[in-house]
Amino acid sequence: MRFTVPEKELMFPGHVACPGCGGALAMRFALKALGEKTMVVLPACCWTIIDGPFPMHSLQVPVLHTAFETAAIAAAGVKAGLDIQGKNDITVMAWAGDGGTLDIGIQALSGAAERNDDIIYTCYDNEAYMNTGIQRSSATPKGAWTTTTPEKTPKSEPKKNIMEIMNAHRIPYCATATLAYPEDLINKFKKAQSIRGTKFIHIFAPCPTGWKMAPDLMIKICRLAVETNIFPIYECENGLNYSINIKPKNQIPVVDYLKPQGRFRHLIQKDIEQIQKSVDFEWELLQYRASRDFTKSKNIQSQAKK
Amino acid sequence: MKWLEKYKVQVPILEKESDYPNWAISMTTTLLNHTGTWRIFRPIYLNKIPPCNNECPTNEKIQSYMDLVKQDKLLEAYKLILEDNPFPSITGRVCYHPCETECNRKDYDESIGIHCVERFIGDWGLKKVPFAKPATKRKVSIAIIGSGPAGMASAYYLALNGFNVTIFEKKAKLGGMLRYGIPAYRLPKKVLDNEFKKLITLGVKFRTSSLVGKDITLDNLRKNFDFVIIGHGAHKNRPMVIPNEEASGVFSGLDFLSQINSGKRPKIGKKVAIIGGGNTAIDAARSCLRLGSIPTILYRRTRAEMPAVSDEIDAAEAEGIKIEFLVAPVKITVTKKGKLTGIELIKMKLGRPDASGRRRPVPVEKSNFTLKFDSIISAIGEQVDLSILSADITKTEWGVKADFIGRTNIQNIFAIGDCVTGPKTVVEAFGAGKRTALQIMGNADKIQHKVERPVQYSELNLDYFEHTQKVPPPQMPVAVRKKNFKEVHTGYSNVNAKNESERCFSCGVCNKCDNCFVVCPDLSVLKDTGEYEFDYDYCKGCGVCAHECPRYAITMIEESKAEVE
Ligand SMILES: Cc1cc2nc3c(=O)[nH]c(=O)nc-3n(C[C@H](O)[C@H](O)[C@H](O)COP(=O)(O)OP(=O)(O)OC[C@H]3O[C@@H](n4cnc5c(N)ncnc54)[C@H](O)[C@@H]3O)c2cc1C
Ligand code: SF4
Ligand code: SF4
Ligand code: SF4
Repeated sequence: MRFTVPEKELMFPGHVACPGCGGALAMRFALKALGEKTMVVLPACCWTIIDGPFPMHSLQVPVLHTAFETAAIAAAGVKAGLDIQGKNDITVMAWAGDGGTLDIGIQALSGAAERNDDIIYTCYDNEAYMNTGIQRSSATPKGAWTTTTPEKTPKSEPKKNIMEIMNAHRIPYCATATLAYPEDLINKFKKAQSIRGTKFIHIFAPCPTGWKMAPDLMIKICRLAVETNIFPIYECENGLNYSINIKPKNQIPVVDYLKPQGRFRHLIQKDIEQIQKSVDFEWELLQYRASRDFTKSKNIQSQAKK
Repeated sequence: MKWLEKYKVQVPILEKESDYPNWAISMTTTLLNHTGTWRIFRPIYLNKIPPCNNECPTNEKIQSYMDLVKQDKLLEAYKLILEDNPFPSITGRVCYHPCETECNRKDYDESIGIHCVERFIGDWGLKKVPFAKPATKRKVSIAIIGSGPAGMASAYYLALNGFNVTIFEKKAKLGGMLRYGIPAYRLPKKVLDNEFKKLITLGVKFRTSSLVGKDITLDNLRKNFDFVIIGHGAHKNRPMVIPNEEASGVFSGLDFLSQINSGKRPKIGKKVAIIGGGNTAIDAARSCLRLGSIPTILYRRTRAEMPAVSDEIDAAEAEGIKIEFLVAPVKITVTKKGKLTGIELIKMKLGRPDASGRRRPVPVEKSNFTLKFDSIISAIGEQVDLSILSADITKTEWGVKADFIGRTNIQNIFAIGDCVTGPKTVVEAFGAGKRTALQIMGNADKIQHKVERPVQYSELNLDYFEHTQKVPPPQMPVAVRKKNFKEVHTGYSNVNAKNESERCFSCGVCNKCDNCFVVCPDLSVLKDTGEYEFDYDYCKGCGVCAHECPRYAITMIEESKAEVE
């Protein structure tokens, strides 16, 4: 097997992501997919830092830095401005972390989705507020250590299901992706680019620093997340038509995914079993959703098109 | 090309307030920021020795020619093999392929069918590629005793490099055991003749029917040639030392096979016993079958201890040949007139392990019994004839004393192959022949030694491979093949060879799969020159590239130990 990705780089090295940063690689792939005619809107997130301190900048496309809660609306504004100037061949992408998406930016995101603003909204999810010192977010999985959910009282709430929230908006396209499957990820950005309206892409992007794991395992952990069904790779059109894009080859237990990460070191057998159960449940639910075929229902189809 | 060679980086001057832009806007790129200084470990491209190559006595670059076959570059693949093994059509057929035994893929599903791919390339090359011409002649003369695989390999590399080579061979035809030992159903004589054309084209001189020791002495050769290479093999049949061994109807395995291979038909009866458990025994039994007899192999230990190669035993059994285990001959039974009637045997059981590590067979008292046979073939092993050697050459218990490179105690006399090791294999003889040639040519630095630790299975990243089955080596059905001496294995097709080579992991050897380039978060793997290189100005040493290299062609080393550039 061999990866084929577009050769052209639209990013420079020298950016200040930690060694083995999943978020940095995610941006590299996304820009390879979208091409030069792209503008990026960054709210407060790791990428605000990664892009480099003044006077430096690491992308070969324009970036607008904006406030924490405003990624979606700022992107929609940029898009509207471009439209008015008649420049409608430019893709505008909001690029936010899990904090800026699931917590702080959710209102603006929901608003843009409700209006079906023509943007790609990417959440690169490293499951906590990483650059400010690893504080928990609503994307932090249950059982994980963060500096605000210490080992004695790790996070007790499950990860918020942002994909379902976005699907509920019935936007044209929502998808998950991760770095161990670059072609899938790149294809999804290309597909999103070809669709008008709000597109939401949720990228599982490991943070070796915050997850307390060896940086060289970055890709491996993405693969394990998918193969254990912790982070299934799927897409959903119009909030209705689900398809699972990567079907795990073998059933691997979640412990294989949890083990290499220091943030789960304190978990005991019972906790792991519980995680396994909830993963199995979610996976079954997703398979059920993906098995439904709405193309047969004229009613639903005609409604969905609107 | 490094990033800093490709881009001129602007360094904005920001000394006074007016140098600053009116709003927060970037003025240059992060190329200014040399994140390479963060590094504690650095990745380096470092190809390693895969187990197949390490185990092959000629150290064929298996992983590399598999890669070439994948890309349909058959000419390159053929040329690459010839660098290490001049006669792949031979090893592709008769080599016991230790490479496959050690192949890392065996731990994943099934080892690569290396010898089948090798044979395909070898046969393709024999058909399509003109034979090599020798380099400009050098004034160095070399006498080689014996035209078996050891002598053939030495002759090839020496003649190719312009040396003056003469082979002295006692038999009328060339090839040693390849011609007179191994039966045609495993190695057709035509293949051997075609391979010999390489030596003829290189101008090697042959003196057949010249028995060194009788027709010409070793001392004589030493006087007339700059170097002498002894490669006369192990041809003495080991006697069974039992009564009536000399009776008519008793054959030695080597004589029997040699007769068949010379186009004669030995006079054997219907029921034939073959004594022994090595390859000679199996070949003799399978040949008997093809002559219309009913062979039975009698062996004094169990199948697990048989020195014959397991594939060969399987093939014999598939052809319906019976093997009686744990029996040893006591005497050949004959009528008063001396006519052979059969053999008296004694049952054996396994005792403690002997020097070879195999359990020693011990006789079960009073268990003697007799079986009726029309002919008996004794194939319990071969020994080296040491009588031709001059007194000043050091010997061992079983042969000529020589080191890995073939050096004997006397300068300018080398010894290679079975005459050094006792009966071994074709590919070991090829390897020894090549090493001696390299030594004489003054290329001793090119002699590859076995490494302690070739690439391990655990060092590969198997995420990038799918389970597949080996392409089975095509062969003639048993019912057809046991009636004649036609070749049993018919060989891979081009498609077979390609499919099989696709399965190779390329352990430890970069095959430009692009993974490292794709997965680097710091854009520090560059490939615009056609070769991969790291941009150490920016690489942070995360090690993702090394981890995701499927074949362990990247090694992480401590930055402090990296050589200063
Ligand atoms: C029946 C049989 C089957 C075998 N099958 C296989 C197999 O499938 N695969 C494998 O890898 N190995 C096999 N072997 C082993 C293999 O053939 C030998 O290990 C190999 O041929 C050794 O090569 P060599 O050049 O050292 O000696 P040889 O092949 O024995 O060649 C020595 C040559 O020297 C000549 N010679 C001997 N004395 C003199 C002299 N005084 N003057 C001049 N010439 C002389 C001989 O005639 C012969 O041509 C088999 C052996 C036998 C007996
Ligand atoms: S997989 Fe290929 S490179 Fe690795 S040991 Fe087997 S043949 Fe050699
Ligand atoms: S992946 Fe990139 S940054 Fe990390 S060690 Fe390899 S070359 Fe360096
Ligand atoms: S990842 Fe692929 S291209 Fe890179 S060193 Fe390994 S084999 Fe070569």
